[in-house]
Amino acid sequence: MLLEISHLTVRYEKAVLINDLTLSVDTGELVSLVGPNGAGKSTTLRAISGLVAWEREIKRRSTSGDIFLDGTVTFDGERIEAIPAHEIVRRGLVLCPERRRPFREMTVLENLLAGAYLQKDKRKSRETLEKVYALFPVLKERTRQISGTLSGGEQQMLAIGRALMSEPQLLCIDEPSTGLAPIMRQEVFAKIEEIKRLGITILLVEQEVSTVFKLAARNYVLSSGKLIAHGRGEELLKDETLRKTYLGM
Amino acid sequence: MNILITGLITGSMLALLAIGFSLIFGVARIVNIAHTAFYMIAAYTIYFLSAKLGVSPFWAMLIAVAVVVALGLLAYRFLIDPIREHEAAVLIATIALAMIMQEAMLLIFTGDYLTVSALIQGFFVVGGVKVFHQQVLTFVVVLIILAALWLLLMKTNLGLAIRSTAEDREVANLMGMNESRLAMITMAISVALAGLTGAVIVPLAVVSPFMWMEPLIIMMAVVVLGGLGSIKGSFVAAYILGFTEALVVFLIPKGAFLKGSVALSIMILVLLLRPEGLFGVSFEEER
Repeated sequence: MLLEISHLTVRYEKAVLINDLTLSVDTGELVSLVGPNGAGKSTTLRAISGLVAWEREIKRRSTSGDIFLDGTVTFDGERIEAIPAHEIVRRGLVLCPERRRPFREMTVLENLLAGAYLQKDKRKSRETLEKVYALFPVLKERTRQISGTLSGGEQQMLAIGRALMSEPQLLCIDEPSTGLAPIMRQEVFAKIEEIKRLGITILLVEQEVSTVFKLAARNYVLSSGKLIAHGRGEELLKDETLRKTYLGM
Repeated sequence: MNILITGLITGSMLALLAIGFSLIFGVARIVNIAHTAFYMIAAYTIYFLSAKLGVSPFWAMLIAVAVVVALGLLAYRFLIDPIREHEAAVLIATIALAMIMQEAMLLIFTGDYLTVSALIQGFFVVGGVKVFHQQVLTFVVVLIILAALWLLLMKTNLGLAIRSTAEDREVANLMGMNESRLAMITMAISVALAGLTGAVIVPLAVVSPFMWMEPLIIMMAVVVLGGLGSIKGSFVAAYILGFTEALVVFLIPKGAFLKGSVALSIMILVLLLRPEGLFGVSFEEER
């Protein structure tokens, strides 16, 4: 297994955001994490990408409440749950965050280069850049454009492209389709499939369950920080209560 | 003509100070009230080295910048960094730091007004106004420093990381940028800019333990006008304020007494009419 989360619990003060979560992602898979708002999907991604560990460091220093993290996260055979975010990227795990969050004042190219920050070999980052441009031709057309002026869909492509610039083994994407027009959503999903075909493992958090279930081989359903169900899309959809209560379909 | 020269020089000095202040605020959310106190320290170091020890002014300036950077890093490491996540505490700590530096200078050098001789003597006359060579030199050096800073920020990997962290430190973290290391580097750059400002301005100014207060207030006005954390904003606003100040001093009778109030009035107006400043970005709330 490339990624194994075992009995992960995350608590902010008294609020339990993730409760005893166990899941795994194998190399080459596209796995989804679905569930209602506040189910702990984003927190799961933040925990494995090191943002929770980083935030805990900050809170400890400011004594403004504590974050509690228990359980283990193993990536590529190494325990990573206590490692801060900036150290995790170089191990090949990257998060494309919620709400895209491009560096809005910088150009498209600068955003992409920021993604390749750790790659000191300029020739290699040049090569990766060409791959990203091949995947997202629209970014190549807009190299010099300030990213804050891109459309929502383009910003999403940029955010994914920026994450890919770190040459990840595992790409975590948090709600890529939120706030996009239907056509743009389809395009984003098509790109995600294409990335999977490039051999990159993907852990996808999404609201749009119907599309995701077609895309992902396996799906984890979360609610209130707990794992509710796990399986192939069509199996999960057969369960009436699950469909109505947790998937909103 | 006088207005133009004074405006340019004041503006350039303010730009250097305000950009340094903006940088460390942008990257680490540190409001460093002691910023201009570092500028005072640089001025005193140059005075001490050149007037007392006879070191050549050029070397005195370089040593002064080095001293200020060392002091800045010490202050960062032992005073600011441990309480960095408490914004109010940082504010109070840096006010205290400025006071300590002021009192230390008062003890060592007394409160007497001191001066440092110009690097190059002489002047030329343009449009009936004496322009001292030192003024030209100061202006040119400031432009060179600004250009170097621009290159550092826009063309290097370090600059990219600094700008990324300033914009969104969480995402910068995800890209592998070590935020606390960058904060330290930025602190060094920031106080180096304060030191350099002190160094270039010292032949034109009077050195005293209280010389940090007035520029501090005007610098704050610049930062507010330009938009907190915006480097471009600081740059433009610095010249706007520099020229406004020069205009007031030269065109209004007894205008010199109004200098401080002009900056403050602009600050209040900006806060009332456009709190985000000229180029300000409304910061996204961090979780």
